[in-house]
Amino acid sequence: MKLTIERGDLLNALSHVQNVVERRNTIPILSNVLLQASNGELKLTATDLDIEAVDSADATVTREGAVTAPAGTLFDVVRKLPAGSEVELEVQPEGQRLAITAGRSHFELPTLPASDFQTMSSDDTPTKFSLGAKEFARLIDKTRFAISTEETRYYLNGVYLHGAKTEDGTAVLRTVATDGHRLALAELPAPAGSEDLEGIIVPRKAVAEARRLVDAVDEDIEIEVSDTKIVVRAGRAVLTSKLIDGSFPDYGRVIPKGNDRKLTIDNKAFEAAVDRVSTVSAERSRSVKMSLSDGKLVLAVNHAETGVGNEELEAEYGSEAMEIGFNAKYLLDIAGQIEAVEAEFMFSDPASPALVLDPSDDSARYVLMPLRV
Amino acid sequence: MVENALDAGARRISVSIEAGGLKRIIIEDDGCGMSADDLLVALERHATSKLVPDAGGRVDLLNIHTMGFRGEALPSIASVSRCSISSRATGEDAAEVFVEAGRMEGPRPAAFTGRGETGTRIEVRDLFYATPARLKFMKGERAESMAVTDTIKRLAMANPHVAFSLENNGRNSLRYAAEVEGASGQLARLGAIMGRDFRENALEIDAEREGVRLAGFAGLPTLNRGNAQMQFLFVNDRPVKDRMLNGVIRAAYQDFLARDRHPLAALFVDLDPEYVDVNVHPAKTEVRFRDAGNVRGLMIGALRHALAAAGHRASTTVANSALGKVRIEEATSANLWSLPSAPERQASPSSYYRQPSGIDFDQPLPPSGDVMAGLHEAPPPAYRHDAAPSARVEPEAVPAQGMPSDFPLGVARAQLHETYVVAQTADGIVIVDQHAAHERLVYEDMKRQMAAGGVRRQALLIPDVVELTEDEATRVLERADELAELGLEIEPFGAGAICVRATPALFGEMDAMGLIRDLADDFAEYDAGLALKERFEEVMGNMACRGSVRAGRRLNGEEMNALLRQMEATPHSGQCNHGRPTYVELKLADIERLFGRRG
Repeated sequence: MKLTIERGDLLNALSHVQNVVERRNTIPILSNVLLQASNGELKLTATDLDIEAVDSADATVTREGAVTAPAGTLFDVVRKLPAGSEVELEVQPEGQRLAITAGRSHFELPTLPASDFQTMSSDDTPTKFSLGAKEFARLIDKTRFAISTEETRYYLNGVYLHGAKTEDGTAVLRTVATDGHRLALAELPAPAGSEDLEGIIVPRKAVAEARRLVDAVDEDIEIEVSDTKIVVRAGRAVLTSKLIDGSFPDYGRVIPKGNDRKLTIDNKAFEAAVDRVSTVSAERSRSVKMSLSDGKLVLAVNHAETGVGNEELEAEYGSEAMEIGFNAKYLLDIAGQIEAVEAEFMFSDPASPALVLDPSDDSARYVLMPLRV
Repeated sequence: MVENALDAGARRISVSIEAGGLKRIIIEDDGCGMSADDLLVALERHATSKLVPDAGGRVDLLNIHTMGFRGEALPSIASVSRCSISSRATGEDAAEVFVEAGRMEGPRPAAFTGRGETGTRIEVRDLFYATPARLKFMKGERAESMAVTDTIKRLAMANPHVAFSLENNGRNSLRYAAEVEGASGQLARLGAIMGRDFRENALEIDAEREGVRLAGFAGLPTLNRGNAQMQFLFVNDRPVKDRMLNGVIRAAYQDFLARDRHPLAALFVDLDPEYVDVNVHPAKTEVRFRDAGNVRGLMIGALRHALAAAGHRASTTVANSALGKVRIEEATSANLWSLPSAPERQASPSSYYRQPSGIDFDQPLPPSGDVMAGLHEAPPPAYRHDAAPSARVEPEAVPAQGMPSDFPLGVARAQLHETYVVAQTADGIVIVDQHAAHERLVYEDMKRQMAAGGVRRQALLIPDVVELTEDEATRVLERADELAELGLEIEPFGAGAICVRATPALFGEMDAMGLIRDLADDFAEYDAGLALKERFEEVMGNMACRGSVRAGRRLNGEEMNALLRQMEATPHSGQCNHGRPTYVELKLADIERLFGRRG
């Protein structure tokens, strides 16, 4: 294999795939990226056996061939080469090393044979649809913060993607994520072909990698789903991931319907105030008490040892006065998602979940469980 | 049969066994003896001469004080062996019976060959010779003699006023002299059996509640072992093996010991025989209490109380083992500071007092050569000519702090290796491990805060349903209120399932299912939800570790003194969270001994 390629193109393609590679591996070849040169194109593939990322870039191929080389080192080397340089990649026939030459820089990296590299089989994918890159990014961004990290509830370790119908019967494509303490939901009008998508759980890592690919493209993203896999095509990059085999909880039941105590508050001011008062809560639970009364909200942290913090905010609130406690981190996470000037909280009572809405975006909803003392 | 001797009021019991007791067992006592008639009764199945009917001729079977009463042991042994019993009761002639595989000869008058005026001598030969099938299932000779030794030890612990001796294949393997009545005799006997360390580091336990009396001794947490074999329970002086004891001890020592370390203890429960059933196990090694909760509560309460009172007793094992090591070196080399002759890590408790940072407490200071290499990257400062303590308390600061005699832990004099604070007390010196000590202080403080402030609960959006067996679920649900106080809200969810509504906020995202399963196991085994408290301790312990002064930080004089004063004011500050000592006290007398100024 021998080829020359523009450093920027190579770096771009590498950056799309190398994150899939785990830092530590028991199988050596999983640390490597597969390089395949043919037809004026260099194709790069990386896998952790659950997720596979493929990207390609134009190259001047003088000798076709394939090899695998350490993904991390190759990425770092290319990243540190001067911008705009031409990079020559060549597999040395005698030493089986990959020679990288750019200007006066010369590197040789160890390789493993391409034939040992495991690629994912391509399944039949009955469901196919496409949607705009921005829309897809939004579906992910609005929900991924709520993904659970607790391994025992593996079915919450991802984003639940499915076709659904809203109350008025509109078909939507919806993402939901929860860690059992809070829940985030986002939806958009269902693209053609996605209406009947049965729920799939896309693992956290695949969500992050897909999001990375989407950043680079302006055109539509193509999504294909089979029983066990999801394939995301963004430009020339293709990400294939296994799905989490489990059933996502019936989230519809935990989204409160009858919450009628409505609080409207300036989101930025609220976020800043929560951040300020939670400074004095040393413990990990970081509980913040919200006291609601006519036209005002008092945020309070009261800790015997670390101190007391209070802040009063003007708010639109007309219902019966109440007090409710939340984890400050969860409040901040949600406030960070609200794009409108104001945030809307819908409460029922201090022991029941609260619903948080973004007045500028009725397609995203957040549910938050209170803390009890 | 040794129990019989005890019932007979014997003051001296000697046992001798051959080939693990299979070939020959001789038991001699100087108890009240048996008359010829009683000898016959003794060999009758389900008969006993021990129950004396009251005036109305009734026998109160529910109120039995003697060790044996079922009349099973002697006849059953006699039926499978060659057995001879000779006995002499007060005012009677000695008599003897000989039984061979159930056939009886005698009684006939005989010369009593045992010791003393009265008493009984039982000789059993060729056990199971009549039933070779049983013989095949006996364990090895060694195992059998160990079982005998163990049994004698337990009985000896319960009866300090009786002298015991055990001869194994002609060699004296155990010999305990009779001790005086009361706690001191008890402790002397326990020390003889459980080791001298125990004698020096035991806390006396004495508590009573609702007719149940608990006495005995429990070791300081710094004296610990890798297994629970050195934990003994006696009910009405009867040695029993009860799983409850393990749970009780674990619960009481929870704050002081890592889960895999076990303290030493010998506890004696005395209560009205009416409230305890000893007939659970053929060898009577298990008992059932009518009110197990009360006994349990009493035991945990008494142990905790004793431990709290002893919060400041640093284990002498630590100081002694350190001194012992120094002495060994004196003996092996003329130069104390030459390379240590790599003192072997014997399985004594002291070898577990290793610091997490890899700094070894046992090594005499200053360690040299390769030992040091593991401890510090830089060459030991104390080894150089310009060696100086990491920090010094300026002498003029001392008067302002008061005299050493004013404080139990003395006045800080210096900091060594930026890790240990050395303080002078009225009658010696105290060396404090600053990290371990401060960690304990922070931890105690957090516990206090939690107790005062209550536990915050994070309600779950999607309740976790945990599938258990029906028994397990019932057991866990019975304790729902107790768990709710600790922040874990649960409720029933059909047969055999539990629904978790809220978890302690401190844990963040957690594996509620795993916790509930652990709790179910704990309730089944120990009758206490240790797992939840242990999780709290783990989380708080980690937080305490992060929030405390590390080894390697230079402290100034005021800081060191402040640390000492806080330790004095804080309960349980003698041990760190893992059962290691936070400080060691060396008495002036010990130091003088080191320098040969005292014998």
